[in-house]
Amino acid sequence: VSLAARHLEENGIPTVIMGCAKDIVEYVGVPRFLFSDFPLGNPAGKPHDPASQARTLQLALLVLQAAPAPRTTVQSPLRWSSDPAWKLDFSNIARLSPEEIARRRAEFDRQKEIAKTIRKKPQAAE
Amino acid sequence: MSEDNEDGFGFAPEHDAPIPYMTRIRDYYQALGYGAPYRWAHYAAVPFAPLKKPLAESRIGLITTAAPYQPDKGDQGPGAAYNGAAKFYSVYSGETDRDHDLRISHIGYDRTHTTAEDNNTWFPLPALRLLAETGRIGEVAPRFHGAPTNRSHRATLHRDCPELLRRVREDKVDAVLLVAV
Repeated sequence: VSLAARHLEENGIPTVIMGCAKDIVEYVGVPRFLFSDFPLGNPAGKPHDPASQARTLQLALLVLQAAPAPRTTVQSPLRWSSDPAWKLDFSNIARLSPEEIARRRAEFDRQKEIAKTIRKKPQAAE
Repeated sequence: MSEDNEDGFGFAPEHDAPIPYMTRIRDYYQALGYGAPYRWAHYAAVPFAPLKKPLAESRIGLITTAAPYQPDKGDQGPGAAYNGAAKFYSVYSGETDRDHDLRISHIGYDRTHTTAEDNNTWFPLPALRLLAETGRIGEVAPRFHGAPTNRSHRATLHRDCPELLRRVREDKVDAVLLVAV
């Protein structure tokens, strides 16, 4: 959606992105970004936590309203967990055994075949 | 080694920072045997369109990368493994005056630490409607739009982006909220 946000802005429509992949969205280069430091899949707040969802949306609208310039990123003050250990897991090859790497390689090939029958190969989030 | 004993400074652990996804993903796929690294879109210049009226008078559009649930396309969660069959390949739209069953099994979200049980964590349409009721925003646009995630950059830039622009213009939005999964 980063590319879509850019395209809309180029055509005069203000945007704000809600997302969890800070480096990727900022690398693309977007006008306004509310970053939640949560596991990928939770750009709009925590599961089963309406207060966190409402807060996250409110923050996104504040960013939309008040960003002074492009590349405005605001990081939500909400925490996923008091223990940050979850951040060590995602796609962290250093944490996988050779057997697990082999298993995932096979699964990746399988998914790629499925995707190919529909269209193109998979790609990372955001 | 520093002679400072850092206990007492209140520093967070070193890994308590936003995950470096680009590095992680690049290293991961390389280890899985996919040599040519993915090249993320990247621009030096960034456009910026100022808001033209207060949010309380604005019509807000919504763009999502989530997919409508398709019962014939395998397990789409909660908790489903990555499901390449559930992907979609062209922009779709839905009415915002009703609820929708959107899923993210076609996306590489963090399956270790979240299970995609609550679609309000990636599709804030009910929350947005609530803000329209309370007057925080003027109104929700009549439609939301689904943006495909897995195309080539060429398809995204030349087909999907113009199509999304066309649709939000039709909806006469004043601003758009995009939710990236």
